[in-house]
Amino acid sequence: MNEEQQLKLQAFLDGELPESEAREVAGWVARDAEATALLGELRNTRQALADFEPGLKLPEPREFYWSKIEREIQRLEPPPRVEETISLFTLLRRLLAPAGAVAVLAIAGLLAINQFQPGPSMEMEVALSDSGSFTYRDQSEGMTVVWLSYPAENQFTDAAVPDTLPQ
Amino acid sequence: MAETDYSSAEDAALVQMAQKGDTAAFEELVARHRDKIYARAYSMMRNEESAIDLSQEAWVKGWQRLVQFQGESGFATWMTRIVINLCLDELRKQKRHRTESIEELDEESGGVERQMPAVTVNPTERLERGELRQRIDRALGQLSYEHRTALVLHEFEEMEYKEIAKTMGCSIGTVMSRLFYARRKLAALLADLKTEK
Repeated sequence: MNEEQQLKLQAFLDGELPESEAREVAGWVARDAEATALLGELRNTRQALADFEPGLKLPEPREFYWSKIEREIQRLEPPPRVEETISLFTLLRRLLAPAGAVAVLAIAGLLAINQFQPGPSMEMEVALSDSGSFTYRDQSEGMTVVWLSYPAENQFTDAAVPDTLPQ
Repeated sequence: MAETDYSSAEDAALVQMAQKGDTAAFEELVARHRDKIYARAYSMMRNEESAIDLSQEAWVKGWQRLVQFQGESGFATWMTRIVINLCLDELRKQKRHRTESIEELDEESGGVERQMPAVTVNPTERLERGELRQRIDRALGQLSYEHRTALVLHEFEEMEYKEIAKTMGCSIGTVMSRLFYARRKLAALLADLKTEK
């Protein structure tokens, strides 16, 4: 028997042949004593192994075996959790929240830098409560000038301005 | 709050709990399948200590990759694939550290066993279960890891030729050859053992 025939016989035993070929091999085995003997041997070996496997048992008590696994699991990072279904709103919120935080930090940083930066010795102020007043301050000259314009330009709307001055 | 009854929960439920970080659920899974995972490692490694270490490593890997488990196969099957891959890696590493002998090269090509007449009498007949186990254990230990692995994956894992080829990284023809050689050698070894007795 050549190698190809031997392997075909084995494939027949293992159910790896297509039906037509399996029928052919079955006919060959029925006619050929050598093929019958080899098939019998292969089958016996397979049966012996089938009985062998289930007998193996772990030779360590459950707690002892688990303790090493548990230690290793605790040493390592926790596994990534299975995420729940994420809604579009949650997703946007998750994306926008860090972006917003970064923007706030950037603005705060800029303001802090401006505050501590040595500015020009001159500055001008406009009081928001009274936009009719302007303050000019020159640190180098130690001078402060305040303009007061009354009535303030925006104190009355056009409609409120009387057409004629009261008599 | 009521305590979870892990022992009566199904594997799928325990897996879901473990995926959320519940180590007690994972411990229950380990307790249920530890013998099978150990047995697979032992069949491949032929060494109790290595089998225990590799099976524990497999459980740790299983925990880390748990999120990838989608339930397409059973949990035990999934875990078995992990331990098989770990054992194969270890066996390949061991093989790289030793020179291949002429005998091993002869084994790869089929050896003299291919030409031997068939063992007509079932050598395992009338043997007690324990004795049979010991004999097969010894015989398996005499096979090269490639032949033993092909046999273990086919007989114990019930993998098809194609799947074994993929797992072992070889052709289907090589799988068939290795399997045939392994079976014949095992039959010869078991027959010899019977004669010895």
